[in-house]
Amino acid sequence: MRIDRSAGPALLSLALATAPQLAAAQDLVFAPGEDSRFDWESYEALKQTDLSGQTLTVFGPWLGPDKALIDSVVAYFAAATGADVRYSGSDSFEQQIVIDTGAGSPPDIAIFPQPGLVADLAARGHIAPLGQETADWVLENYAAGPSWVDLGTHQGPDGADAFYGLIYKVDLKSLVWFVPENFEDAGYEIPETMEDLKALTQQIVDEGETPWCIGLGSGAATGWPATDWVEDLMLRLNTPEDYDAWTRGELAFDDPKVLAAIEEFGWFVRNDDFVQGGAGAVASTDFRDSPKGLFASPPGCYMHKQASFIPSFFPEGTEVGLDADFFYFPAYEEQDLGKPVLGGGTTFAITRDTEAARAFIEFLKSPIAHEVWMAQSGFLTPLKTANPEVYGDPTLRKMADILLAADTFRFDGSDLMPGAVGAGAFWTGMIDYAGGADAAAVGAMIRKTWDSLN
Amino acid sequence: MEQLAFASATIVIGIFGCVLWFWGSNWLLDRALPPRGPNAGRNIGRAARVRPWLFLGPALLVLAVYLVWPVVLSVWLSLHDASGQRFVGLGNWRWLIADDKFRESIRNNLLWLLIVPAASTLFGLIAASLTDRLRWGDLAKSLIFMPMAISFIGASVIWKFIYDFRGEGQAQIGLLNAVVEGLGGAPQTWLTLSPWNNLMLMAVLIWIQTGFAMVILSAALRGIPEETVEAAVLDGASPLQIFFKIKVPQIWGTIAVVWTTITILVLTVFDIVLAMTNGQWATQVLANLMFDWMFRGNDTGRASAVALVIMLLVTPIMIWNIRTARREGM
Repeated sequence: MRIDRSAGPALLSLALATAPQLAAAQDLVFAPGEDSRFDWESYEALKQTDLSGQTLTVFGPWLGPDKALIDSVVAYFAAATGADVRYSGSDSFEQQIVIDTGAGSPPDIAIFPQPGLVADLAARGHIAPLGQETADWVLENYAAGPSWVDLGTHQGPDGADAFYGLIYKVDLKSLVWFVPENFEDAGYEIPETMEDLKALTQQIVDEGETPWCIGLGSGAATGWPATDWVEDLMLRLNTPEDYDAWTRGELAFDDPKVLAAIEEFGWFVRNDDFVQGGAGAVASTDFRDSPKGLFASPPGCYMHKQASFIPSFFPEGTEVGLDADFFYFPAYEEQDLGKPVLGGGTTFAITRDTEAARAFIEFLKSPIAHEVWMAQSGFLTPLKTANPEVYGDPTLRKMADILLAADTFRFDGSDLMPGAVGAGAFWTGMIDYAGGADAAAVGAMIRKTWDSLN
Repeated sequence: MEQLAFASATIVIGIFGCVLWFWGSNWLLDRALPPRGPNAGRNIGRAARVRPWLFLGPALLVLAVYLVWPVVLSVWLSLHDASGQRFVGLGNWRWLIADDKFRESIRNNLLWLLIVPAASTLFGLIAASLTDRLRWGDLAKSLIFMPMAISFIGASVIWKFIYDFRGEGQAQIGLLNAVVEGLGGAPQTWLTLSPWNNLMLMAVLIWIQTGFAMVILSAALRGIPEETVEAAVLDGASPLQIFFKIKVPQIWGTIAVVWTTITILVLTVFDIVLAMTNGQWATQVLANLMFDWMFRGNDTGRASAVALVIMLLVTPIMIWNIRTARREGM
């Protein structure tokens, strides 16, 4: 499930910076050459490509503050190459891009929130492969490189695998949020392993408190927070290969390996003592309301597992890093699976093969394309050559550390599965499971839906 | 501001477009078949036959494009796979019959069908006859009618607050749970209690539609000839007898129209379920199932099959409704 984090303060500064000359998107947020933390050499190198007189159209899902941010990034490409870059966003991007490519009027570059759609369009021949050279570059320069190459590799119309999508802008899901002050008062340590986390959970209960705040409610999308839990646990109990097979539908939903992950989720969520409001409240509590227990006095709960965007829903005035903080949702010591990280990200792909589109992909490979957004807000990158010093706030920096330390990175599985499963049966199944249904029955139900797809 | 200008322009174009069409087609007819000269008689007759079709033209065109063509397309799509590319015969229909969620939707739709129109009409009838006798009846009527002005989504949000649940120990912000707690009971997660949660969703629609039923029935009640009631009074009928044996039989046709109108609405109920439970906890209904397959499953084949089922269910009721309404002269 993709939730875009908005970036209020950055937008404001951006708006101020770009206000005088809105029409000419040539205004750059950070003047080239000034701040030595940025890799200006990579910016200067771009100037060798001359695209003056050419137009590049970019189409993506970002609107509002996010549109302002991507505009601020592409402005550097425009300034260096002289190309006229036009980004447009839509909140029905997924439907629109299918129509546009099918009708033969695609943008040059499309920004996909879900890799599944890239695979679909690549199979229909609507996307141009980026070439082995780019794939090798990702392998070498991205942390957990092979994971990113796999995410961008799909079958073309001829059935052969090729590299189609470059992931740029990542968010992180394997995070547990807590209030440092509460941990300090109670004398709790940040758990380093899953065994420790479970022991801490039990300890908090033994001391008469409630360890977790969990809410699966999300209006029409109710159930998705549970899928993140199961995916994270899946990565911690099984190999990445098993995880991939699962998201592709090759490992059945009622396979013991998957059921183990579901039942592990049940260990946390189906125990009345473990969750604020009791297990019965989990499915109907809105995920946006659920973290509030952390900040109650006395604390309603001590921990809350949620992706990097959740501070937007913390009480007003909460300062991340001070009033609230996060730690990595740890891995089992007994399992030899390293430190897996679950996240999401957007894929850039060429939907119309032009010189400018190729040059834009080259631009995305330069550190400066990442650093400009890093220095603002809501952006994480696995690019190792981007300078982490640039991160706009310390929280992003700490998240980036988790990302860069990852042994395995895996994409949100429900976004990779067919929509009827990943945004349908999986949600329903997890709600039923949280409500007391049997894991095997739930797994079989989801499997049945998946099997029925033609 | 832009939307405002856009909306105003649309209205102006719409109204003047109609006038222009009316004037233009008359002018053309006059030119083509002048009601003068040697053939005046024949021309007038011909023009009279052509004129209705000219006037109906735009409406027929719009109906064909937006109603007939989609139905044809839906049938075609329902015989094809998810992307509408490959012919799968009756595959989608076979899937539909075997699908648990589809059965759940049919069951729930039947429940909605039985309960909501009956309850709305009954409450509407009661409200109509009671408020007719009160001095502050008009005020009561406007209060009961007011939910009609709220969109289904808005109403769903309001009722979600009524059913809201907070964990034990936290202050209940939901009205229902606050009442239950006030009476010494334990708060419940109302919307997850199957099958009762279906009734709780229905309550929202009943709340909205009672006002509609009341207004129509109240008008019908006032239309009853005074003599019949007076005659019954003189014959010594009790108020209840007057109501059930004199008044209700006379407005029976109107009751039927109100009933069927609400029935059609119920068959296509979607917003309330989507906003409150999204069909979870065994509350799925057909329209929401269709939406799920169309926009989450990206499966035009299955979505079309469900859409056709809804259409097949609605059509007979609609025809009956129109017939009754016509007989009633409404």
